[in-house]
Amino acid sequence: MQKSKFSWANIYLVCVFIFLYLPIFYLIFYSFNAGETMNSFTGFSLHHFSELFSDTHLVIILLNTFLLAFLSALIATFIGIFGALFIYYLKRRSHRNTLLSLNNILIVSPDVTIGASFLILFITLGTLFSGFSLGFWTVLLAHISFSVPIVVLMILPKLQEMNDSMITAGYDLGANERQILKNIILPYLSPGIIAGYFMAFTYSLDDFAVTFFVTGNGFTTLSVEIYSRARRGVSLEINALSTLVFLFALVLVVGYYYISKDNQGRSKKKKRGVLR
Amino acid sequence: MKKLRSLLIEIVLIICLLFLGIVWLEKSSGMSDAKVVNIYNWGDYIDPKLITKFEKETGYKVNYETFDSNEAMLTKIRQGGTSYDVAVPSDYMIQKMRKEKLLLPLDHSKLPNLKYIAPQFMNLAFDPKNKYSVPYFWGTLGIVYNDKAYQASEFKSWNDLWDAKFKNKIMFIDGAREFMGIGLASLGYSLNSKSDAQLNEAYEKLKALTPNAKAIVSDEIKTYMANEESSVAVTFSGEAADMMAKNSHLHYVIPEGGTNLWFDNLVIPKTAKNKKGAYAFINFMLDSKNAAQNTKYIGYSTPNQGAMKYLPKAITSNRAFYPTVAQIKQMEIYEDLGSKYLEKYNDLFLELKMYRK
Repeated sequence: MQKSKFSWANIYLVCVFIFLYLPIFYLIFYSFNAGETMNSFTGFSLHHFSELFSDTHLVIILLNTFLLAFLSALIATFIGIFGALFIYYLKRRSHRNTLLSLNNILIVSPDVTIGASFLILFITLGTLFSGFSLGFWTVLLAHISFSVPIVVLMILPKLQEMNDSMITAGYDLGANERQILKNIILPYLSPGIIAGYFMAFTYSLDDFAVTFFVTGNGFTTLSVEIYSRARRGVSLEINALSTLVFLFALVLVVGYYYISKDNQGRSKKKKRGVLR
Repeated sequence: MKKLRSLLIEIVLIICLLFLGIVWLEKSSGMSDAKVVNIYNWGDYIDPKLITKFEKETGYKVNYETFDSNEAMLTKIRQGGTSYDVAVPSDYMIQKMRKEKLLLPLDHSKLPNLKYIAPQFMNLAFDPKNKYSVPYFWGTLGIVYNDKAYQASEFKSWNDLWDAKFKNKIMFIDGAREFMGIGLASLGYSLNSKSDAQLNEAYEKLKALTPNAKAIVSDEIKTYMANEESSVAVTFSGEAADMMAKNSHLHYVIPEGGTNLWFDNLVIPKTAKNKKGAYAFINFMLDSKNAAQNTKYIGYSTPNQGAMKYLPKAITSNRAFYPTVAQIKQMEIYEDLGSKYLEKYNDLFLELKMYRK
């Protein structure tokens, strides 16, 4: 096949990417605007970025958002690993399917429903136990619980792919259950676990609806804050912030690429070793 | 496994760093102090420099949070689980919150600066004797036009909007009470009308207005008007001030024959934990100089008489934003209609919106 061949498929691809990325780049472009609006570009300036960093409130919210995303994804991944193992090792097929369906319902159901039901739950808890109020912990709990089903779903296929005879072999060689988990199952699952972690991380990072319901005074995340600021027109400070978040996402994707590439490289090497 | 472990360690490390960063930032900005005042306000509805000034003057730390609609704020306060010390609801919402007993009565002796508020903005129907609220900003509903396309004389009364030359030209703010209000005001009826006959008459009249509507939108009006994608819009004076700051060809007029007069007010919700701080904050915002500074930043009309002398003449003499007392007397504040009539307004508006010609 020739490389420089003209093809409609390529044009289509380019168009799709332009559609997807143009709005983002438009936003980023104006974050460097010297003026105060997105109406016209009056000159290059970084002053929206310096404004952003001098706005301690916004920086705290930014850090909070990332703390929440890292932490909730971590806990959700832990729970998700064991959830996936539990579902996989259920003896009866009908039980397994029921649990899996229950898991999937949570992914499909709209965020608004989840958020509203959490709000009701937390308010009830708040009336039962004084001192339980809406804030960081309620948002964290909500984020963990909507991330767990995703992690389970990312790990299960890997688990089904796994060759069970490896585990039998492990037992034959005298490994106990802890060693089996540590030395066979978890290493085998690690691509799934990493993927699950990143999925949970992004879900938590861009969640708006659930957070909007369960957040209380003293705590907001970026999406909620931007939403309420946008009421009086988006200030370019928000553009600057979006630029930074976009760059961060870029770093994250590149990082993920290298982690997974590293993985493949290693397994290839191993295979080669076996062949020799 | 090795990689999982190293990833785990990295993530935990990042979490610790983030946590330390937050603690450090909160400490350096003093947020973790016990003397925190929680303010719950509309997004970008205060000059941030005033918050810093307030913190410096009083030693309190402000935790500023924002909402985007009266209803969202009501839900958050009604549900409990929050402890906002000061909130900023609009007029009709105060009536509602008062009925639900969500507000604390204000002790006027703790608000000496209340004397700066102009008498015509005190003791209003939604809160007699200002028992629960202090006006923060006020404004009207009117018409914004671009002088490249139209002149002020073309917008004398609401009835002018029915003119065939505006076919598919006007943008309306998306609100049942606002849109129905145009119909009611043009017929000379009250904006708080609870008469089915009057409402139906307004509905029939508004049907003839819908062909003139280019769009019924909310916040986007600002951008559309500033970018000259449309040259006439019906919107609130505060929004109009924003647009005019961005595009000098825009002008705001209040049509004759009555319009809506709205107020955003400072209140202390029942959930307040730091009442002393709340009083300090409200009193600080009532100070003439601070009110003037805030007005310059926000661009809405201030009810603060004392602030007038600190504001440029160009602002205070602008009749579109500071109408005369006689004009104000013609205007009406929305009252809480009760759920039955609120639904009726909403239904009629929805029908007009959906079956536009």
